[in-house]
Amino acid sequence: MSQLTEEQTAPPKRVHRQRSATQWAVAWRRFKRNKSGVAGLAIVIAFVVFAIFGPLFAPYPPRSTESLLQGQAGQPPSWKHPFGTEINGIDVFSDSIWGARNDLWIGVAATAIATLIGLAVGALAGYSRGVIGGILLGIIQFFFVIPTLLLILLFSRVFQVLVYQGFGVNLIVLILGLFGWPGISFVIRGEIFRVRELEFIQAEKALGAGNLRILFRHIVPNVLTPVIVLASLLVAGNILTEVVLFFLGFGPANVATWGELIEEGVQYVSVYPWVALFPGLLVVTLVLGFNLLGDGLADALNPRLRE
Amino acid sequence: MEDLLKVEDLRTYFFTEAGVVKAVDGISLDVRKGESHGLVGESGSGKSVTALSVMRIVPKPGKIVGGKISFDGTDLLTLKEDDMRRVRGSKIAMVFQDPISSLDPLYTVGKQLIEAIRANNETVSKEQARDMAISLLSNVEISEPERRFNQYPHELSGGMKQRIAIARALARTPTLLFADEPTTNLDVTIQAQVLNLMKDLKKNFNMTLVLITHDMGIIAEMTSRVTVVYAGQVSESAETHTLFYHPTHPYTEALLKAVPRLDKRKQLQSVGGNIPNLIDPPTGCRFHPRCPYAIQICKEKVPDYEEVETDHFVACHRWKELSLVGVQ
Repeated sequence: MSQLTEEQTAPPKRVHRQRSATQWAVAWRRFKRNKSGVAGLAIVIAFVVFAIFGPLFAPYPPRSTESLLQGQAGQPPSWKHPFGTEINGIDVFSDSIWGARNDLWIGVAATAIATLIGLAVGALAGYSRGVIGGILLGIIQFFFVIPTLLLILLFSRVFQVLVYQGFGVNLIVLILGLFGWPGISFVIRGEIFRVRELEFIQAEKALGAGNLRILFRHIVPNVLTPVIVLASLLVAGNILTEVVLFFLGFGPANVATWGELIEEGVQYVSVYPWVALFPGLLVVTLVLGFNLLGDGLADALNPRLRE
Repeated sequence: MEDLLKVEDLRTYFFTEAGVVKAVDGISLDVRKGESHGLVGESGSGKSVTALSVMRIVPKPGKIVGGKISFDGTDLLTLKEDDMRRVRGSKIAMVFQDPISSLDPLYTVGKQLIEAIRANNETVSKEQARDMAISLLSNVEISEPERRFNQYPHELSGGMKQRIAIARALARTPTLLFADEPTTNLDVTIQAQVLNLMKDLKKNFNMTLVLITHDMGIIAEMTSRVTVVYAGQVSESAETHTLFYHPTHPYTEALLKAVPRLDKRKQLQSVGGNIPNLIDPPTGCRFHPRCPYAIQICKEKVPDYEEVETDHFVACHRWKELSLVGVQ
């Protein structure tokens, strides 16, 4: 009855089938209105482009001391060396470009590893109760409380032999990835506790869905939004950790990263201040970009603000 | 008529840190093929847990600790979990209370219906399932089913969501449908529509319905037999008509008095007191602290579940002496 009257009174609708706005489309619409979030996204995209295509235009190969032989070591910024050169004649501009590639790779790849581990461990810890859940929680807490930075430093020393087999950057990726997941696990576990109690999970069970299907098709997708936000912030965190690692002298010396340049630059900061300045600015800008992006995503994906 | 579902002395306890909550503590129930059976009681009396127990999806830390559930000749409690999963959705289905959270917000209506149709049953092709889903949507009287098919739950009204939840429960034409307070969270006008829809669907799909509610009005409107539960136990069970006109349990009488009536403008009487703590329930008859007719024996001895007449059972020490007032 009610539908009939509704249809009779409503003006005839256009026939073309409109696709409904998915939650992602709704979130994107809201994200676009957030200026700082968009600025963060723009910064990140700019750096990604810079990292992908920059090396095509880099005047020197990474870690190249060519300029030393030409007597160009420790030069201030000039047209030939826009960011100057450091004491061994390495062109700071070139290495900053190579560094962008390495740093982004470190940030993103380590985050991907950490997120996958965090998601798997957090999901299982949240979904299984009893002994298994308890054990997993214990593991998460253990990795959460151990001083990760010290372990990272230790591991990068222990496995330094790999560095000379061309494994430098990926060693850092692995170490950061393998130690970076507990924060994500904690959040996932908590979110799963929340989602697991929602009625549609019970409804899925009542329809005969199995545990794995419920976990991976209904629970995990519903906890992904905080993961996206956390992952974006974790990229920034990983880049900073990379810088700290190199700054403390624990990074492989044959790899071009911003951290390596900053470390070298700081040693001679009173003589060649530009060596640390430019990569430092790049780090700050990119980390800021990822943080703004993360905050923007957090606002856009927050279900409580949903229209 | 033969019994489709027979629950005997079901006990489902929740093992919480505060103690063992005896949410269902000896509930017996028989639901006959084709009937509409009402399960009525206050919040926390164990109605929903009974339904969840039958489907064996009691959330932890809850556990079925005793009793027997036989459905269409099968003992559900001894079935392997894998076999039980095949019963869910195909033989026994359930509609939940809160339409807002009973649909997954991330998938379109169509996807969720197709998933329900094809659950444990991949012989149906996606194309067939799509057609079935569209016809399910028209079955639950959703206008423009083709358009709704592609919409997300957040784009639908509460009443429409509940229709979709019903459609999803009917996806594999179950023989038994539990409806757990299906209209409690809906506007009154929508409530009537949804209840009428359920009545029609029950007939068209040839289903047996167990309607869980605390609303005696809905019981009168929808059911042919009723089981009244109180604090995890059955207090009275009868044909709806008998229960309303000749209640024999003081709790039933109290529930009936609490129904608002337009024709008699009297002060509405609530059932005094609260539902007891199920960790440490009252001794004897569990209703005695709230019962106006309670005497010494009610505190000491658990009443037997006695036959008043054919199809009418009551658990009360004093049912013979009391003359209780039903609907006049």
